[in-house]
Amino acid sequence: MRKRVHLLIALVLALSLALGVVAMPVAAAVEFNDWGPRVDEIIMPVIKEQTARRIAFERGESVVWSGLTQPADIDQAKSLDFADMRMTLGFHMFYLCFNMREAPLDNIALRQAVAHAVDRDNIIRTLFKGYMLPMTSFVPQASAFYNDDVPTYPFSLEEAARVLDEAGYKLDATGKNRIDPNTGNLLPEMKLLTPTYEVAPTSAELGKMIAESAQKIGLPIVPEPMDFNVMLDKIDMQDFDMYVLAWSLTRNPTHLVNFFHSKNDVEAGYNNPGIRNTKLDELLNRLDMAPDLKTARFAADAAQLVLAQEMPYVPLYSRPYIDAFRKDMVGGYVDMAGYGAANSKNPWTPLNIHRVDEAGNPVEGGTIRWALSEEPDNLNPAVASSAYAWDVLDKLFGELITMHPETLEDMPWMAKKWDVGIWEPAPGREGTTITWYLNEGMKWSDGVPFTAEDVKFTIDFLKDNKVPRYLNYTSDIVKVELIDDYTVTVYFDTVSYWHLYNASLAFLPKHIWKDVTDYKTFEPWNEPHPTMEGYTKLVGHGPFVFKEYRPGEYVRLVKNPYYWRANP
Amino acid sequence: MGFRSYLFKRLFYAIIVLFVILTFNFVLFRVMPGDPEKMIIDPNFTPEAKMELRRQYGLDDPIMTQYVNYLKSLLRFDLGLSFSTRRPVWTELKERLPNTLVLFVVTFIGTATMGISLGVYAAANRERFAERFVVGSGLFAHAVPGFFIQLLLLLLFGYYWPILPIHGTMSAPPPDGGFALFLDRLWHLILPAGSNVIIGFGSWALYTRNTMLEALSQDYIITARAKGIAKGDILYHHALRSVLPPIVTLIFMSLPGAVSGAVITESIFSWHGVGRYLLDATLKMDYPAAQGAFYLIALSVIISNLLADIAYGLVDPRIRVGAGGQG
Repeated sequence: MRKRVHLLIALVLALSLALGVVAMPVAAAVEFNDWGPRVDEIIMPVIKEQTARRIAFERGESVVWSGLTQPADIDQAKSLDFADMRMTLGFHMFYLCFNMREAPLDNIALRQAVAHAVDRDNIIRTLFKGYMLPMTSFVPQASAFYNDDVPTYPFSLEEAARVLDEAGYKLDATGKNRIDPNTGNLLPEMKLLTPTYEVAPTSAELGKMIAESAQKIGLPIVPEPMDFNVMLDKIDMQDFDMYVLAWSLTRNPTHLVNFFHSKNDVEAGYNNPGIRNTKLDELLNRLDMAPDLKTARFAADAAQLVLAQEMPYVPLYSRPYIDAFRKDMVGGYVDMAGYGAANSKNPWTPLNIHRVDEAGNPVEGGTIRWALSEEPDNLNPAVASSAYAWDVLDKLFGELITMHPETLEDMPWMAKKWDVGIWEPAPGREGTTITWYLNEGMKWSDGVPFTAEDVKFTIDFLKDNKVPRYLNYTSDIVKVELIDDYTVTVYFDTVSYWHLYNASLAFLPKHIWKDVTDYKTFEPWNEPHPTMEGYTKLVGHGPFVFKEYRPGEYVRLVKNPYYWRANP
Repeated sequence: MGFRSYLFKRLFYAIIVLFVILTFNFVLFRVMPGDPEKMIIDPNFTPEAKMELRRQYGLDDPIMTQYVNYLKSLLRFDLGLSFSTRRPVWTELKERLPNTLVLFVVTFIGTATMGISLGVYAAANRERFAERFVVGSGLFAHAVPGFFIQLLLLLLFGYYWPILPIHGTMSAPPPDGGFALFLDRLWHLILPAGSNVIIGFGSWALYTRNTMLEALSQDYIITARAKGIAKGDILYHHALRSVLPPIVTLIFMSLPGAVSGAVITESIFSWHGVGRYLLDATLKMDYPAAQGAFYLIALSVIISNLLADIAYGLVDPRIRVGAGGQG
């Protein structure tokens, strides 16, 4: 696994150099502590305007300039002596989707020909100055489930034309248009939907580049930039030929089930290409219900193979995470594969980041400032949905299991270990059980002990209230059983390796939430804590505790005095 | 027609307009392409989760039920829960409204004072450098896109000569003490309000100058000059007074722009206000939030129009008197 990560990092490096981009530092071996935090306070000013965020970074009003995507911003950050650029692969996929439900795009040869006509390297070089990673499979390279041993479609207009010729799509007398062998008529115009130039200039230009390339081999593909909402509407109503869009994914390959299983070719489902392939469905069922990692890996590999032949999408590129840190002000930030050094899903940077003196030596304690690009509009963890809210909340809450920043393998965290078992939810049927063994002596940020009771309460609360954000996690849970104060078993009515992650919900302190009658309107950050003066009911078990939020201005977090990993 | 009946008539029209606007407000978002739950592009959000969300949003009710619920709620001034933040829209608007009002009032006072004084000054100095300067700079400020001037100022005073704060309405955290906090807030107002004044003074100056020039060519001004009245008195007590009605209208009609026009300023300077809220709500298809913000804007437009009508009636008796009547 570790070797794979190193290989992929080397791939990014090689790509950057090959594209003539001066490569930025990529961590060779990630060093991190599993204790902290090492600062007393984080102030997170809300700076919505991107120029202002850049200026704030340069003025030292934010120690990080995170999530850089624009080549101009990346170049600017690289030019600053005090900026330490961090780059990691991301769980991101930008793709071209075909509507396979109707002719002519129901034909596999046509889709494969388009795949050959896409010049990824040129797109990445022209539009992104090389700061993207070309994709050939349906799982991002950052994932441990990425299968690089699948058929690829290197850019070649000759090869694209050959594929079309072999499939019977001959050129007409003018030599410019192709004839559909099934109808005997010229191929109909195929529209490629993109957002408008105003909203997403690179996506719009990318659509134009693909269309122009396809036109050279006689495919009448025309770009059609449109309002983003209209585009989403058309996709939802299956009223499209092709479109380009991006996904933000996770380390697990279960998105393959959501995107390509025929059961998800339904209203509000995500099988937008409308692929219906029995063999693929079987593999995706195995992936979804894999009892162990080995089966999951096999199914994910095999599914990627089928998809690479079927080409419901043409995977185009994956965006790496690029963040700039003020190395003259802070150190200790941790690169995390797939998530980046400054992403909220990276629990290691908040734990490890520390101030530095003029000589670059670590300074314990003190305050750092970390800009937010939007206001965290709702800090109720049951309903918060924006990434900006989670930029804050993720620093306040811990997890039962965590991920190694480099290998992304599961690590015991608030649960010192876990057992995966099988039970019989009904005669003749099997289901997974997950038993958590929690560390003893952990406390919530108000000093109340964190126990198995809180795990049971969280899962029961989310399930009983059908909280939409967590429905995917709780829908297969049958019951939660307390064994003792530090042991709890979660019962599922199906068998799946992924239930381990579905069972890891443990963020609602029972002593606070048991009195909540309407979770939707509860504003824990606005209600004073019943016993701790100066604090609120937003109680967590992460390295920081919530202190103050001035809407639209800033969030203030302070070191959690009861944090269970406060000392080495 | 007496002033009272004039007022009642205006009020009646205002209520009709408000009802029509509220109905449009409801229909508009539902005929727009897109759907709040379609905006959620998250593979973990299953079709079942989306359906549950629709149920919680009340979007699975018949459209007429939704409309009746919407009207009932508005009458109670209950703007509902925002789809995206799940917080009461009125609470969110209340958090933002004071900031928008402060920015507007300061901008308004600055723009009106600077615009009207420069307009009068230009009119009094016809065909001199002063007039050319006012007209030239006014036209320039009016013609250049506002956001360009604002970004330029942001770079100038935030980066090249970093002497001013570039985001927010206060320092993070703000200083203790009432007066220190007041000064801190004033300090944060300089760039957003100052840039608004630079963007906005041109139209006021040019408008005032034009109406003043017209007034200065009137017979009664010539008479006043012939009577030997001081130049300043003629300018301020005779000419300016006669051009006040259209300027008063301009003043009130610019009030609604406080909210809608604040979108760009609030975005550039991370100003926590209603304008940016409206933009975000519309982009996210957050019906209750967008409807709430539009309701507020509609109310402010109608009230401004009403105030303009009343003020116009007060400063110009011909308006309230009507055909042949007595005020």
